[in-house]
Amino acid sequence: MTSMQKWTTKHLTLCAVLTALALALSTLENLFPVTLLIPLPGVKLGLANIVTLFALYYLGTGSAFMILIARCLLGALFAGNASALLFSLLGGVLAMAIMALLRRCRKLSVYGVSIAGAAGHNIGQICAAMITLGNTMVLGYLPFLLLVSLFSGALTGFVVALLFRAMEHVKLSRT
Amino acid sequence: MTTKCSPPELRPKKLDILVAAVVLVLAVVVAVGFYGPKLGQSDHLTAVISVGEEVIERVDLATLKEDKLLTVEGECTLNVLLSNSGAEVILSDCPTQDCVHTGHISRAGQSIVCLPGQVVIHLEGASDEGAPDIVVG
Amino acid sequence: MMKKLLPLLLCLLLLTGCAPKPESLDIFAMDTYMSLVAVGDEAFDALQKSANIVNSLEQAMSRTIDSSDVAQLNATGSAALRYDTAVLLEEAIALSEATLGSFDVTIAPLVALWNISGDNPRVPAQEEIDALLPLVGSEHIHLSDGSASLDEGCAIDLGGIAKGFASDRIAQLYHESDLSGGFVSLGGNVYVHGENTDGEKWNVAIQHPEVSGGYACMLSLTDAFVVTSGGYQRFFTAEDGTVYQHILDPATGAPAASDLLSVSIILPYDADKLHGAMADAYSTALYVMGEAAACDFWAGQQNFDMVLVTRDGRVLYTPNLIDHFTEVEDSGYDYQVLTA
Repeated sequence: MTSMQKWTTKHLTLCAVLTALALALSTLENLFPVTLLIPLPGVKLGLANIVTLFALYYLGTGSAFMILIARCLLGALFAGNASALLFSLLGGVLAMAIMALLRRCRKLSVYGVSIAGAAGHNIGQICAAMITLGNTMVLGYLPFLLLVSLFSGALTGFVVALLFRAMEHVKLSRT
Repeated sequence: MTTKCSPPELRPKKLDILVAAVVLVLAVVVAVGFYGPKLGQSDHLTAVISVGEEVIERVDLATLKEDKLLTVEGECTLNVLLSNSGAEVILSDCPTQDCVHTGHISRAGQSIVCLPGQVVIHLEGASDEGAPDIVVG
Repeated sequence: MMKKLLPLLLCLLLLTGCAPKPESLDIFAMDTYMSLVAVGDEAFDALQKSANIVNSLEQAMSRTIDSSDVAQLNATGSAALRYDTAVLLEEAIALSEATLGSFDVTIAPLVALWNISGDNPRVPAQEEIDALLPLVGSEHIHLSDGSASLDEGCAIDLGGIAKGFASDRIAQLYHESDLSGGFVSLGGNVYVHGENTDGEKWNVAIQHPEVSGGYACMLSLTDAFVVTSGGYQRFFTAEDGTVYQHILDPATGAPAASDLLSVSIILPYDADKLHGAMADAYSTALYVMGEAAACDFWAGQQNFDMVLVTRDGRVLYTPNLIDHFTEVEDSGYDYQVLTA
């Protein structure tokens, strides 16, 4: 963990930029109407996981967690929708927890971590749906969402891998 | 910045496949757990036979190869004929004979009750469009 | 690392236990088979309490439990009544008067004489019936302040109304509990509550009196009582082959020679009224009355709905039911809407 981080201006700025990026990705997701396939309001692909995953590797769990929370709160604020907060929080935190655990495994690449995170994201969203709707019928969507998460997870992993390859040439905040 | 973060492995590894497999298995497990019982329910007419408040036997009527005669020992003794099409009490040593008078039942939700014998034969399953939730009479 | 992941995912699956599932309870009580279903957060609780309600009503009103109010009253001619017994007995007298005696709890001596639902039914001689007929009539019951007395030789049987009353009490409990839906089926007495498991109104089928396993019609209802009476299920066949059904006519002391096969009464739930008991009593009374008198009775009151199945193959129902009523195609019946 990175409990004793020094909060340099650079770090803070990076966190802020990543939060903004995550918010932008959350909005971008609305262009992919998963809800057409799975009629549950609030269910999303989880593209914002790109940021979570990147922040996890690059800044550590603590910062990644704060970016996640900020993204969820701000996102709900923009959408003006409290139940969306539950969806994104449960999905986001679960994805984050799983990825934080798995990234310590040296035998897993960013793809494996990402797929597990995407699956966690969808499980969290279904849990949120079960809580808000008060029934287990929505559980029937989980298998489809999990299949979707294989692809969205691989995609997220691919993007993050690209990002890190690009980062090799940029010395951003590593001081 | 002193993060202990190690840079990620950027190329897919063998264990990644395991993660994908676990997700896939989970999807299948949830699907089977969720849709499995419903399939069983909707496809098969099942006779549930209980004495008192205890279920003593469940017979899948859809897969019966031939008619089955069952002797049910409650407070009274009932001979129950089970077939693909339903159930019927053909003989009972109960005083009222209500169960025999009920005749043949064939649709999910219907039941034959022998009060003195404390025996209930209830049909479940077989999704029947427009089937009632309750029968009164 | 995978070892850490799996328990986590399994725990998540366990979270699914929080949503309501239908709870059901089947019991033999009050001389019938009862089937109860409840859906909602307090379903389990509601069913346990329902079972308690049924048990305590049975303890108070059974004719065969010696310590019951009814057994005491019948044995000694007077008894102190439990609250529920007093309420129901008063209601029974009112319903008896409303139906001009077609429903009467003092029919008990004749029920015992015929014993049609019992172990040894028999056809009594007309003199035996005539001897007991003067004992029938609600004027023989005297209620006063939590106790009751009967005239010499009289007896009461709340069997024709106690199940309806039990459904009243359970309906009230369902309304006080956090339930999305449920139903109670107490031997011909049905109460449907809220939504069914598909989130729609409950589909209640009225049994076909002549075709076993068939339906006479379907009703789609919520928060309503449906009580059906008919002679087609409980009957006995005498040595000469005559079939005697179990509903006795208080006027003749013999099984009602009705031109109806079954009568169903439909009443909405009303917290201030005992509509379950009323539907129970009315279904018996109108069966005894027969088609013409039953239709006149409805036209005169119009405070309830009904479905009559006649012996000559017609199903008659009241106009309020039109939106809730579905005909059954292969029932072989002609369907007609009554007009007041």
